[in-house]
Amino acid sequence: MRSFSYASARDSADAARMAGRTPGAAFIAGGTDLLNLMKDGVQHHPHLIDVNKLDLSRVTESASGLHIGGLARMRQVAEHHAVRARFPVLAEALLASASPQVRNMATIGGNLLQRTRCGYFRDTGSACNKRVPGSGCPALQGWNRGHAVLGTSDSCIATHPSDLAVALTALDATVHVLGPAGARRIPVGEFYRLPGDTPQIETSLRPAELITAVEVPRYPAASRSRYLKVRDRATFEFAVVSVAAALHLRGHFVRDIRLAFGGIATKPWRSAEAEAELRGKNLTVQRVEQAGRVLVRAAVPRQDNAFKVELVQRALVELVLDLGGLR
Amino acid sequence: MTSLVGRPVARVDGRAKVTGAARYPADNPVPGALHGFLVTSEVTKGEVTDIDTSAALAHPGVVAVLTHRDMPRLTVPPFPYLKGFIPMQDTVIHHAGQPVAIVVAHTVEQAHGAATLVAVRYRAERPRAVIDDAAESPYLPPPFRDRRNEFQRGDAAAAWAQAEICVEARCSSATRHHNPIEPHATTAQWDGDRLTLHETAQGVNLTKGVIAAVFALQTENVRVVAPYLGGGFGAKGPVWSHTIINAAAARILRRPVRLVLSRAQMYTMAGHRSEFRQHIRLGATRAGKLTALLTTTTAQLSNTDESIFNTCESARFLYDCPNLHIRQEGVRLDVATSSYMRSPETTAHFGLETALDELSWALDMDPLELRRRNHTEFNQETGQRFGSKHLLQCYDLASRAFGWSQRKRRPGATKDGDEYVGWGMATEMHTFAAMPSTASVTVGLDGKAVLRVATQDIGTGTYTIVSQIVADAMGVPLDAVQAHIGDTALPVAGVSAASATIASVCGSVDRAARAARDAVVRLAVADDRSPLFGVPSDEVETRHGHLIHTRNHERRDSYRAVVSRSGKPVEATGSVPNLPGLSYGVVFAEVRVHARLGSVRVTRVVTAHDIGRVMNRRTARGQVIGGVTWGIGHALMEHTVYDRNTGRVVNPNLSTYLVPVCADAPPALEALFVDEPDPGSTALGARGFGETPITGVPAAIGNAIYHATGRRVRDLPITQDKLL
Repeated sequence: MRSFSYASARDSADAARMAGRTPGAAFIAGGTDLLNLMKDGVQHHPHLIDVNKLDLSRVTESASGLHIGGLARMRQVAEHHAVRARFPVLAEALLASASPQVRNMATIGGNLLQRTRCGYFRDTGSACNKRVPGSGCPALQGWNRGHAVLGTSDSCIATHPSDLAVALTALDATVHVLGPAGARRIPVGEFYRLPGDTPQIETSLRPAELITAVEVPRYPAASRSRYLKVRDRATFEFAVVSVAAALHLRGHFVRDIRLAFGGIATKPWRSAEAEAELRGKNLTVQRVEQAGRVLVRAAVPRQDNAFKVELVQRALVELVLDLGGLR
Repeated sequence: MTSLVGRPVARVDGRAKVTGAARYPADNPVPGALHGFLVTSEVTKGEVTDIDTSAALAHPGVVAVLTHRDMPRLTVPPFPYLKGFIPMQDTVIHHAGQPVAIVVAHTVEQAHGAATLVAVRYRAERPRAVIDDAAESPYLPPPFRDRRNEFQRGDAAAAWAQAEICVEARCSSATRHHNPIEPHATTAQWDGDRLTLHETAQGVNLTKGVIAAVFALQTENVRVVAPYLGGGFGAKGPVWSHTIINAAAARILRRPVRLVLSRAQMYTMAGHRSEFRQHIRLGATRAGKLTALLTTTTAQLSNTDESIFNTCESARFLYDCPNLHIRQEGVRLDVATSSYMRSPETTAHFGLETALDELSWALDMDPLELRRRNHTEFNQETGQRFGSKHLLQCYDLASRAFGWSQRKRRPGATKDGDEYVGWGMATEMHTFAAMPSTASVTVGLDGKAVLRVATQDIGTGTYTIVSQIVADAMGVPLDAVQAHIGDTALPVAGVSAASATIASVCGSVDRAARAARDAVVRLAVADDRSPLFGVPSDEVETRHGHLIHTRNHERRDSYRAVVSRSGKPVEATGSVPNLPGLSYGVVFAEVRVHARLGSVRVTRVVTAHDIGRVMNRRTARGQVIGGVTWGIGHALMEHTVYDRNTGRVVNPNLSTYLVPVCADAPPALEALFVDEPDPGSTALGARGFGETPITGVPAAIGNAIYHATGRRVRDLPITQDKLL
């Protein structure tokens, strides 16, 4: 770890100003990922701006939906009564993440910006296009059990690790950001970018922009929503595959369905095609299985991760049939 | 007085540990100590062509950056130094993560920061790190110390060819790392030719001998101190190169230097369990009697050492089988040197207990009954009867508690909701080592006892058990005993590895304590100021810190009164050469396998063990909980991954190398003990036990998964993709 300077921001505008002044500065809130990255030499920042004092930690519910401050802690959101009652997929995704200690510290904004757990990215002795652009991707021919089968490129096949982001993607959330040029709102579907030739650029955030809030719209499917996470140990582990589903049923008729997936793609993965197999039709086992086949139609499996193509389809069937009361 | 030995006495050091008062080796303040950090090789095979230290030297706080150009020429020491070479003696790179420079600075942060600025250039060759990529066929290495790698009994090939029932299996397991929570730490402090090491050492005296050999010092000039260890599991048994490099740096700089390995460095610098392949064949009669046992194993070896630790010990001793052929082979690869890891024999034992399960299905026989039919009371190599072996009793105890008789005879026969339920079992066995030891007990003027013995507590409860022994032997309360261990300045004892601690120290501690008691009794009966004056020594009993006339309880004195009247402490010593032996047991496991997702949960475990006398039921149970939990990790998740192109470890951290968490431990675990003192024991009837309760767990889980699903997985870990 290299030495760095540190300052605490008073408010959002102050934070944006400070960040605009110091190239390479990073915001720090919970620090649960950033400090590991810095200690392991994966990221160097000459200056850290502590944003913990900013008034951005409230969770409020209104007629239009849920407003989650960027500095709300994971635990706080997971325990919020409105989240549990009307957006259960968010609470489940949060509780399936990390450990109680980490959830007490880590913030919503930080969660959305955590970096991939790809072993090559985290090992400074390995090549990695995400960490050192142009250096190569050893995962393509190397150990890729944890890697993506969708949204990949020849430059990068690393998965996005956030469970929350998968749930927010299913619910069409909007990310609010504030930067030197002012505030803007980014639909979560446009927030994350595919790796393409520039895997080092993961989001549409501009330099010195800070996530101030996440807004989740209210609609009927959100209250019947769940998160299924499949992983290699019982807890405190990232997804091998995960599914976020929100379902609005009348009888067996699917009025609306939202499906997003984790662990299989380079970004939180929404599948409009899979949803289209189910929306406006009666829910049946065969249709859900067909939605799974559609989901993985463009999958590019590799040596160690080919099983994810099968596993994610099974997880989808498992979750949607449970949610639809067909099991 | 009720005996303390055997009771579930809480750890005497528990409070110190949970409050942070216990000083681990890296906590001990050493005035003026500098901080070192190692720069390690990015390439796996090749050589260092250039090291530019200028940027690191310009970093604030940096005192020195030392490379192979600066190191004194050192002697490669014998076992327990396993590496075969000392890094930074030349430019050759044998494995990724090999130390190439040490940065020494005033603070840890400065050393870490400057280490990122050392620019090393390499000439790299293409490495080979895993068994599949080995350039040459496996070979039979020469004996490791006095231990052969090939064993034969009878004519195994002929017996196999003629066997009524045959089973053949090929098993494998991945490389594993020990992952103690406390990383290796060393602080070297020189005073002329005298060296003190504050060291994470499972064997302070072993470390002392190795370090004296490296630096050509008189052994009495080396002191090694390790009062507490944050886990070892074998990783801290050998001496590793960072200790040598750090001590050399301290000598060059004439300042104490402290070095703590980073978590990532723990995956290349402190040993591991080898990647492993096993081909096993069993022949049997239709009645289930073993007639042939043939097994050939392949271990991943480094290019600088050919010791094999994952041995087939259980195949040699555990069951009655007249025809045996074992070959323990290896292949040389560009990896760091492997070492022993809590129980090294677990790896091959998985193959044996899996093959036996397969044999039981081939015979349509209960797997427990199959093991009973092959039980033996005789050592298969020497022909001698085991002095004390209660394995059959373990089978009875644990199978009854588990409800094994209710087991369904068909795989996949039990489903509960979305999960298949399966039951599996395996026998457990481990030989324990024992080393000679000497202990001393001093009774102070306050009547309290101070025990001194250079053993170690690697987290298993040594402090507690030796204190119980002293309290019982002297007839004093537990809080009147203070134990000093983990320092070569104390009376000599052996290493805390190979499950040797209990077997190596109980006898000498007991003798020292009894000798101290007797000395105090003699003082009392010879002292005309004592109420016991003139009483024959053998008519004095000791209880609750008092000396009491056996026939007249009114006549009593106390340790405190006797010793304080005499004006000087009473000291006594005891020595015992000690004997190794075997501990046995059995593990029954219940698993639940998700019918569609393949995820496995271990929901119930019952064990029973024959470990001679149980010294402390609570710490013994702790060993079972640890062994079972780690066995779950071994069976279901733990594996170190080498990149086949670069030879680097890709998951060198606890985020991507998965060890079990609390939620993976079975919700129900019952640990039973036969608790019959072993008459052959030199340790108050007790035997070594630390490693035994992991040995059968991976096979019991694999066998339970087969029973649940009908799927036989022979490659560890059994991750859910193998069960889809």
